[in-house]
Amino acid sequence: MKAEFLIDDIIREGERSADEVEVFFTEGRSISAEIKQSIIGTAEESRGWRIAIRTIKDGRIGVSSTGDPGRWKECLAAALASGRIATPQDWHGLPKPTNMTSTAPSSDPDLIVEPERASAFIAGLLEGAAEYPVDVAGGGADLSRSYIAIANSNGVRYGMERTYAGVSLEAIREQSTGYEFMASPFAADIDPRWVGEQAAFLASHSVGGKDIATGHYDLILSPVAAAQLIGTVLVPALSGRNVQAGRSHLAGKIGEQCADEMLSIYDDPFTRGMGSTCWDAEGVPARRLDYISDGVLQCFAYDLKTAYRYGEESTASAVRSGGEGSPSIGVHNLVVDGPRTTVDDARAIFINSVVGAHTANPFSGDFSLEISNAYWVEDGEPGDPIRTAMFAGNVFEMLTGIAGLGNDSRIVGRLIIPSIRLNNQQIIGK
Amino acid sequence: MEPRYYDIRCVRGEITSVEIDNGVIESAGTSFFDKAVVRALGPAGWGILTLDHVDLGSRRARNDIIAAAMRLAGITEDRVDLAPAPHGVLASPPLREDPRNVDLEEKTRLLAEIESAARLPEVVNTRARYTEGIDQVRFLDSSGNEASYEIVRSGFSVLAVASRNGMMQMGSERDHISTGFNLRNKQELGRKAAETAVALLDAGLAKGGAVNAVLDPELAGVFTHEAVGHASEGDLIREGNSVLKGRIGETIGAPGLVIVDDPSLPEFGFDPVDAEGVAPGRTEIIRDGVLTAYLHSRETLASVGDGIAGHARAEHGAPPQVRMSNTFIENGDATRDEILAECRDGILLIGSRGGQVDPGRGVFQFNAEFGYLIENGETTRMVRDVSLSGEILKTLHDIALIGNDRKMHPGYCGKGGQTVPVSDGAPHLLLRNAMVGGRGS
Repeated sequence: MKAEFLIDDIIREGERSADEVEVFFTEGRSISAEIKQSIIGTAEESRGWRIAIRTIKDGRIGVSSTGDPGRWKECLAAALASGRIATPQDWHGLPKPTNMTSTAPSSDPDLIVEPERASAFIAGLLEGAAEYPVDVAGGGADLSRSYIAIANSNGVRYGMERTYAGVSLEAIREQSTGYEFMASPFAADIDPRWVGEQAAFLASHSVGGKDIATGHYDLILSPVAAAQLIGTVLVPALSGRNVQAGRSHLAGKIGEQCADEMLSIYDDPFTRGMGSTCWDAEGVPARRLDYISDGVLQCFAYDLKTAYRYGEESTASAVRSGGEGSPSIGVHNLVVDGPRTTVDDARAIFINSVVGAHTANPFSGDFSLEISNAYWVEDGEPGDPIRTAMFAGNVFEMLTGIAGLGNDSRIVGRLIIPSIRLNNQQIIGK
Repeated sequence: MEPRYYDIRCVRGEITSVEIDNGVIESAGTSFFDKAVVRALGPAGWGILTLDHVDLGSRRARNDIIAAAMRLAGITEDRVDLAPAPHGVLASPPLREDPRNVDLEEKTRLLAEIESAARLPEVVNTRARYTEGIDQVRFLDSSGNEASYEIVRSGFSVLAVASRNGMMQMGSERDHISTGFNLRNKQELGRKAAETAVALLDAGLAKGGAVNAVLDPELAGVFTHEAVGHASEGDLIREGNSVLKGRIGETIGAPGLVIVDDPSLPEFGFDPVDAEGVAPGRTEIIRDGVLTAYLHSRETLASVGDGIAGHARAEHGAPPQVRMSNTFIENGDATRDEILAECRDGILLIGSRGGQVDPGRGVFQFNAEFGYLIENGETTRMVRDVSLSGEILKTLHDIALIGNDRKMHPGYCGKGGQTVPVSDGAPHLLLRNAMVGGRGS
């Protein structure tokens, strides 16, 4: 069944029982190939289809979703039933259609979703990995093209294509491992050879790591390590829902200096990233959102429900993972920015990634995490590897004392982030 | 070309969830899914096709999807073979109360009782979430094996955040089961989460470094899962990505240490038949400190050996991976008091905020929910934000005492982008020279 007709049927039928109806539709196809010890072990194709329905009646929001077009009536009934239980709230309506003039680079017309393309990426990964004496433990290539649409009973009908290309490789040498990856909506952004080579370098260079004494050291967090910490702690603290519910460290601090004055953090849905879009997951026109400008906290993120509840305005920050029924507050492309410099001239410990970032305390910002693929760096040159150590700190404090942002922005999930130099940080060694 | 083997696994079902945040019913509803995964073995490796809704009754539809999976298999190079394994389905544990017989209003009301029990003075935010999954699974393969079963999982989590003078701390509790409806008479867990959050406002920071550590059954269970369970998964062994590779028969842990994974136990990780149609059974990974077996799918058993198949699991609409189910350390004979006395000075680590392992490097990290300093064999001051990290091979030898009070805890485990229900457990353990992380000085 053509999705457009089905969406119209659902809205028409839903309007008989609810004040407003919204349908979020996703459909896609993806191809992935997985490496098993230097050759292609598995090839997979996924075809997905999902609708999520929201109904609103007297301020009560109901949700349901289904992957079976034949069950849409059951799904609509479940959404209405769910709405009868939800706590009613102040509600001023789903968005109305807007003429959007902006564009977002979310889809690559040249991206080919076929197994042969994945094979070519894998060949590149393996070629890169061969630069160092390592074994390849795993990895793979993923390609996908999907279509996302949102429609509501106020006449909103938006649709967009999304593409995805991603590669990763894990290398091992003796008891040292190295993992690297790259992902983008655009196939041309992907450099599988670099990914293979970098993973192999990390595994190979980490052999023979030395212990380090407990103490305070200057550190460089790679974009990946920085994204792991900021994604776990800062992103939830910027959510208006967490702020209003009393579980954000940043609540009540708008206008205050919450980060180093060299730091600006903003959501740019129109830049090239994994969350590029012209409208959010509720059909509100997307816009650039400056959370932190020159270290000063400017705003928080809101979706419609939270905004209406607390007398705020939606910041078009609704996101959905997959075809979930309810949207949640999130970021599209969170850019960490500021004046750039060379961060690895002066001696420091380079930390490629951290193990267990999700165990950081999202409320207080405190963390103590094992570091991975760490080594000394000086004059831009990698030096002696460090075998094992923990990095203990607090993300909010860390952001107030940045020693420098590197020249090397990259896409890590929904973040676009450079490496970050931090001086005088606590390391727990042997 | 004809496949050497194929299988099709369909999971159809419903997920019901209720979310309450600070007394507001944010959502309460049911969603539906119907997914199929088709795997075909070509001359070399797997071609895998995942789809929404497959009509298994139509021979033509079935042939088409197998042909599509075979085209994918055409680009693979790694020759996969499958070890023979016993097929069969265990009976699912009887449901004490079927959650489908409880209406959504009552589920919401019961969850609200748990959530409101967490509202103690200084608690600024309370959140509770109920999750219920009904899976109807159908499996068939080209060898004529068929299996079908239904499994019902029900449980909740509750989180309390306490705040004072800009300091914010949290406490959380959860309880999930596969034996029926699990929301009745659970208010005390809401209260317990709140008490932890409030108590943590007064807790100090732990000092990082090497200390004697006592792990409570929950954290010791997470340790078992993270540090040993993952490293014994046959796919990681085959890829050379585990420090346990090539160590069968080697003494890798303390005397008396027995570590088991058993999908057949009626705990939260119960699996009546694995995702390859294999009848699951108990695997002793470590017996008396000696590594004896790995966890396997049919494919990894054929290529690695040592162990039994039956440990392949899959999320809805995703291909099987070698996974744990119910993983635990068997009881020893020490009491908790004996363990604290033997520790003398150190730290007691309680609960888990999750963990992660790099099995190739043999390094693990996880966070306790909180801890107590141990002085002279007695617990004293409460400490917060304390983590434990270490090297798998060294840490297993550092287990100095094994308690006699094993408890299992339910949870969810992520691997390769898939999340499956598991349980893990252990008795209290004493670890010598554990690496404990904290910001205190």
